[in-house]
Amino acid sequence: MSTQATENPDKALYAAHKKIYPREVTGKFSRLRVIAFISLLGIYYVMPLLRWDDRQALLFDLPARKFYLFGLTLWPQDFIYLAALLIMAGLALFFFTALFGRIWCGYACPQTVWTEAYLWMERKIEGNRSRRMKLDKAPNSAAKIRTKVVKHTVWILFSLWTGFTFVAYFTPIDELANKLLTGNLGPWETFWILFYSFATYGNAGFMREQVCLYMCPYARFQSAMFDSDTLIVAYHPERGEPRGSRRRGSDPREQGLGDCIDCNVCVQVCPTGIDIRDGLQYECIACSACIDGCDEIMDKMNYPRGLIRYTTENSTLGQPQNLLRPRIMVYAAILLILLGSLLTHMLYRIPLELDVIRDRNTLYRETREGLIENVYTLKILNMDSKSHQYILSADGIDGLKLVLDEPVIEVPAGTVHQLIARIQADEFNMENRSETITFRLQARDANHLLTSEEARFVGPGKN
Amino acid sequence: MASPLPYKIPAIQQAISVLWPSFMTAIAATGLFFSAFDPQDLVPFDLDIDISPLAAYSIGFFIFWLLASISSIGTLYFTISNCRFISKQNR
Ligand code: SF4
Ligand code: SF4
Repeated sequence: MSTQATENPDKALYAAHKKIYPREVTGKFSRLRVIAFISLLGIYYVMPLLRWDDRQALLFDLPARKFYLFGLTLWPQDFIYLAALLIMAGLALFFFTALFGRIWCGYACPQTVWTEAYLWMERKIEGNRSRRMKLDKAPNSAAKIRTKVVKHTVWILFSLWTGFTFVAYFTPIDELANKLLTGNLGPWETFWILFYSFATYGNAGFMREQVCLYMCPYARFQSAMFDSDTLIVAYHPERGEPRGSRRRGSDPREQGLGDCIDCNVCVQVCPTGIDIRDGLQYECIACSACIDGCDEIMDKMNYPRGLIRYTTENSTLGQPQNLLRPRIMVYAAILLILLGSLLTHMLYRIPLELDVIRDRNTLYRETREGLIENVYTLKILNMDSKSHQYILSADGIDGLKLVLDEPVIEVPAGTVHQLIARIQADEFNMENRSETITFRLQARDANHLLTSEEARFVGPGKN
Repeated sequence: MASPLPYKIPAIQQAISVLWPSFMTAIAATGLFFSAFDPQDLVPFDLDIDISPLAAYSIGFFIFWLLASISSIGTLYFTISNCRFISKQNR
């Protein structure tokens, strides 16, 4: 049986690797995938160009330690939100995998998306599958070298653009472009652009399916998420077998044949180079290329479509389908709970923070009036998108006095303001050597903007 | 000496199995660490070093990558040597 690409055994990263030349394919799933790829690539490359107010809409501002997401500004203190989002993304992956199998791999994984983009460029430059295979087998000639140089130049340029866009998620893109054009790129910016470009070029141009086979953690544990109601791509042997070639128009049953004409199209289109007719394999990224490829052949032969199709183990066995399985419900319930609590938290998030640090050098001081005084450094963090004036108060000891250097505390949007606060109290009102006091901070113009922070007040103690 | 393992793991695969998981670990560690600490506050002994935030984050990342790689090398080394030992015993 002539299988795919026994040609050009290429000693690549993972030992006996044979270069795969996926054949181009058209059909309804391929169209869906192209739509998904273009949207995802579009989001990636366009996102840093979007503006919100007077800044980039999505930006991890490293120097300022802020994360901008459209109208929202997140601070390191809000790390929990990001962590919750990541956990939810992970759970969503479990949920969708249990329902739809590896649709993530086939339609949305960056590895797939960029590989398909690089394959598309390769196809435009080197031609279709058989021309690519012929080109690689041909001895070096001026024409071959020219084609290869063109392909790698295009790939490298696209990779550099990808790397530049990546760094633009961390450095504002206009600033980055400006630095690039004036030759003022910092060493680390240059490094990360090149690093990311190189990774893209390597993964999408060369490693391709090997990333899925050998490096992807998801591919390794996906079987744990599958059950017999999970959507998979499968060939129907009872309909297809015995496979064999035949003349068009002849009756296969008379020749004792099934519907598979053994044309090998399903193998040629497969980006991971497997034969789906051997059954479900972990190499299969459920890209559905073989479905489209086979359907086209079925159309030509005037056989019904769907010899290879999306199905579930239960439906192949004629068992009833079971959508609402316990594991689906559990994933869904955890997801909903997480989503609900995240949203409530976000809604009630108070964009104000107060940090109190007691002066470490002196325990306490006695004032001229005979009061005990402690000194604190206060840091007010206004995480709101506008400036506020605040009222500061303190309590915890009878007759406690708060002395501030500045009468009005005003903190501009998104900044930290530092001030010194002195607390004075009468020694006789203290029960212990050290008392807990509470600082309260309240915005003048917004009732909900209030926060408090406890601190220690130390005196000489009674003895 | 014939390889005591059923097959020889190519050097490049060994390298990837060390560098790749530690790379992912380093990303997570960098994210966690720097959301708790501002590199500006970490400059040791009040040294007057002027490094850009991006440089600080990058260096932090590489330190994590290095540490995680050392651990991965340990795992790889013990896995391989244990396999050798066991296959020798079984001989
Ligand atoms: S196997 Fe892994 S790398 Fe490959 S497409 Fe699936 S998730 Fe992506
Ligand atoms: S077997 Fe079919 S669905 Fe699976 S990876 Fe190959 S072409 Fe895609």
